[in-house]
Amino acid sequence: MSRAHLDRLLADAAALERRHFRIAGALAAAATIAAVLLLGLSGWFITGAALAGLGGVLAVQTFNYLLPSAAIRLLAIVRTTARYGERLYGHRAALMTLATLRTRLFDRILTVGDVRAVSAGDAVTRLVQDIGALEDSLIRKPALPAALAGGAIGIVLAWLASPWASLALLVLLVALSLWAHLATPRLLAIAAADMAAALARLKASMVDHASASPEILAYGLTPAIEQALEVEKTALDQARRRFARGEAIIDAGLVLGGGLAMGAVLAISQAALPFTVLAVLSAAGAIESLSGYVRGVSRGALVTAALARLEAMTGRHPVPVDATISIVQTIVFDRNGASVRLEAGERLGIAGRSGSGKTTLLEMLAGVRPAPADCGIRLDDRNLATLPPEAMRAAFALSPQDAQLLSGTVRDNLRVARPGLTDEQLWAALDVGCLATEVRAMPEGLDQWVGDGGARLSGGQRKRLSLARAILAGRPWLLLDEPSEGLDMVTEARLCRRLATWLHETGTGLMVVSHRPAFLALAKHRLDLEGNNSALAEAALS
Amino acid sequence: MSNRYNPDKAAVFWIADAFAAIPLAAALAAGVAAADRGDCGTLLLAVVGLCAAALLRAGLQIVAADRGEAAAIRVKTTWRRRVYPHVLVAAPGHHRMLGETVADAVDRIEDLGGFHARFLPLRRAAVLSPLIIAAAAALGSWVAGAILLVTLLPFALGMALAGTAAARAAARQLDALSRLSGLFVDRVRALPVIVGFGAQDRIGRHLADATHEVATRTLAVLKVAFLSSAIIEFFAALSVALVALYCGFNLLGLLPFPVPETLRLDEALFVLVLAPEFYLPMRRLAAAYHDKQVGEAAVERLEGIAPAPSPSASPKIPIAEPPALRFEGVVIDYGGTAIGPFSLDLPAGTSLALRGPTGIGKSSLLHALLGLAPIGAGRILVDGCNAADVALPGHIGWAGQSVAFVPGTLADNIRLARPDAGDAAVEAAARRAGLGPLIAARGDGLALPLDHRGSGLSGGERRRVGIARILLKDAPLWLLDEPTADLDARSAVEIAGILAEASRGRTVLMVTHSAELAAIATREMVLA
Repeated sequence: MSRAHLDRLLADAAALERRHFRIAGALAAAATIAAVLLLGLSGWFITGAALAGLGGVLAVQTFNYLLPSAAIRLLAIVRTTARYGERLYGHRAALMTLATLRTRLFDRILTVGDVRAVSAGDAVTRLVQDIGALEDSLIRKPALPAALAGGAIGIVLAWLASPWASLALLVLLVALSLWAHLATPRLLAIAAADMAAALARLKASMVDHASASPEILAYGLTPAIEQALEVEKTALDQARRRFARGEAIIDAGLVLGGGLAMGAVLAISQAALPFTVLAVLSAAGAIESLSGYVRGVSRGALVTAALARLEAMTGRHPVPVDATISIVQTIVFDRNGASVRLEAGERLGIAGRSGSGKTTLLEMLAGVRPAPADCGIRLDDRNLATLPPEAMRAAFALSPQDAQLLSGTVRDNLRVARPGLTDEQLWAALDVGCLATEVRAMPEGLDQWVGDGGARLSGGQRKRLSLARAILAGRPWLLLDEPSEGLDMVTEARLCRRLATWLHETGTGLMVVSHRPAFLALAKHRLDLEGNNSALAEAALS
Repeated sequence: MSNRYNPDKAAVFWIADAFAAIPLAAALAAGVAAADRGDCGTLLLAVVGLCAAALLRAGLQIVAADRGEAAAIRVKTTWRRRVYPHVLVAAPGHHRMLGETVADAVDRIEDLGGFHARFLPLRRAAVLSPLIIAAAAALGSWVAGAILLVTLLPFALGMALAGTAAARAAARQLDALSRLSGLFVDRVRALPVIVGFGAQDRIGRHLADATHEVATRTLAVLKVAFLSSAIIEFFAALSVALVALYCGFNLLGLLPFPVPETLRLDEALFVLVLAPEFYLPMRRLAAAYHDKQVGEAAVERLEGIAPAPSPSASPKIPIAEPPALRFEGVVIDYGGTAIGPFSLDLPAGTSLALRGPTGIGKSSLLHALLGLAPIGAGRILVDGCNAADVALPGHIGWAGQSVAFVPGTLADNIRLARPDAGDAAVEAAARRAGLGPLIAARGDGLALPLDHRGSGLSGGERRRVGIARILLKDAPLWLLDEPTADLDARSAVEIAGILAEASRGRTVLMVTHSAELAAIATREMVLA
């Protein structure tokens, strides 16, 4: 998806909440105007009062103190309530926009070619952080109307001192906005990119090192490894410090600008003293009202990076799934001279050492991993690589090696398989998976919560639940990756028997990857992936 | 972990920033007074002073932010020292899981940054800074100073009443959001399953309902959560309004109650400009509240990853002679999957080759001996003592499929096994391990520079570096985890030959698929 698409996605999601964003912007503007006026009017009131006090009793009596003092109290209340309302409406709009955006992003992510890459742990973590950065930018949306309103009221009030004072304030406001926009790429964008790169390098190095953990332990290498990580750690810390410093420097521009604005207006003013003070304090308030906007600009460095990553992660435009999905009748594996041909309902056992590409093969067939052009697999005489993943997904049901479960109930996990499943069908599938007795024994039965990713089930239970789900999908081919891992011999034998019966009754074809003889014995055909030079093994490494 | 006594802490600079607000207000007041008198010279001086004070504040705020980051780096370094060793010797498992563990540990430590860089210094400054402002205001008008201080009472009361409710609400909000994010993460993680079964629409709809429901509930919570910031906002506005009204009526002489002070214009303006500064530290602190929540959640998580070391670790029993190993009904329990029970007996000075199909748990047995795999039942004895009480880490030889590298020379990398080894010993080990051709072929010899991946070395050369290490270590106990797997036949035979000769007289437990390597062992055991 191109950046323009992502921007439109964001804009579309925000459009639904346009009213609330507008209310939040209006309230932000009101709060800012009240804040600028409160300080300015207070200064005018004090100065006017001082002059009147010096002017004697008559001057005091003619000085209208009721109106300004009432206005001061009113402004204090307006500022508070408007700010509260702004936060509420701003957050409402941002949260609702984000809820919509999350759903739409999810839809887009669903269309990526290699869903496995997106679903990897660190990719998901980054996805969450990137969405967080978008949330931050959405919550800052009312900062622009606030800055505009604050600047406008400041310029108007500075006019009371002198038109030149207004001009000076305008120049300062424009200069500070430019400063934020010009300094951000220089001070922050590089630091933000360095930060992300250093973080990724640190994690990658640690994974590299930690995969040799027995050796690290055997020789006591931890101090040496930590020393080796020092480079990445230092790079990360320094980039983060540069970012913090850059952000502080950009913010400091406002502090300095506030001082300059007050000094300039005070020096330029030609007006009576109360109006001078009003203009001076309003100018300071106008500069301060830029702060939210400036922070938004500097945080833009992070938002841009987040958008770029999201863009790289999300897939092409959603395409309508081809309704005329073929039922795969024949499968031909043709690699290194060895070839196997399967007809509908036949069974294939796949063996080979770890790393020889067994899992890759099943994932390519299941349409969750893109197949290379030289994969050597033909479905109904068409190269697997040329078929849309949707076609494969309609023909194959995979129970993967690491049984992936949803955080939900047993029923939630089973019903993913196909819409409109009845409880009888669920129980029948659990029965084939040799899990029905155990689920019946659970306090909540089918409504039993299985924990995060199925953490409350044992490895063997997860495996069999995943198998029952694959059975429920009702696809012409069943793909099983190490189905007996974590099972004792007795259960394994029972599972084999029931599965064989079910396959026979439904005429479903089977491809099973296993090290154990029991499951391989189910299959008439055999594919041995031994050897490192096959195309499949290379696909596994790439 | 505390920086309480660190002289350059950020809080000092935030407090200095409050001090710098005083000359700024004074310069403005003096300037207005000079304008009133028509004294252009003083006016110009005051304007210069005003700008100088603003410059000072800008500088102080930059230094405060930078010092805060420096303090955060120190805290993060301490945590890294505590957490990284746990991650580096975490149980070897699935590569993907390892990636998640590493990302979790690294990211949570980064999460500590905002808490230590911003929240903590601002909280320390928020105690002192308002008092400094009130004291300075009292110099101009002690009644105004008192007014500022008096607003603290209802402020504190309001924060105590609304603040606790707001904190609870904020915690619930964070909870709801993290649950939502958890749901999103869970569904993205399960993408292969979801697309595999064509369940996109159903899961997508469910996710949409859930996100909107959580957003709606979060909004109800936010109404309370924003109360505390509204209270800060209200008192910030109120303090300005009260000071303005008091000063104005004082100047007019219209106060309905007697006050023992008569203000001048410059005094009144000075106090007015200081009034917003009084609640500024609290507003800054409120803006950093999110950092606190994230930081505290991170600490909780990190405590889980790396529990504080127990001081009662008894000294380990050293091994000098080749020990006898004994596994008694060992079951390795990974929570979900359990493997075993395994029993084996390995007399001192003999070697045993474990063979059997992949995935049966051969490597896990070696890991269990090192304490890298959780033992659910049974026990492992080294010379009759519990393996956990014997000083195995750092005192044994290991050769496996993956070899750890650090940036440095080839010699440095071999020497990791025995840091006190001389150059001659390192070179002898390297040549004996069959690295001679490599040393001769590359111009650098043993000084060949390597990165943390050992890039540039072939698979066989990497293994030979591991073999050179085990030779250099000269330990009485060797653990070998398929050191010849995936190597070409010639290298495998060569390495088996080297190991056969060098392993004589040691206790060796090896896991292998290779018949050549298994042949060098005294005994062979097939697991099924």
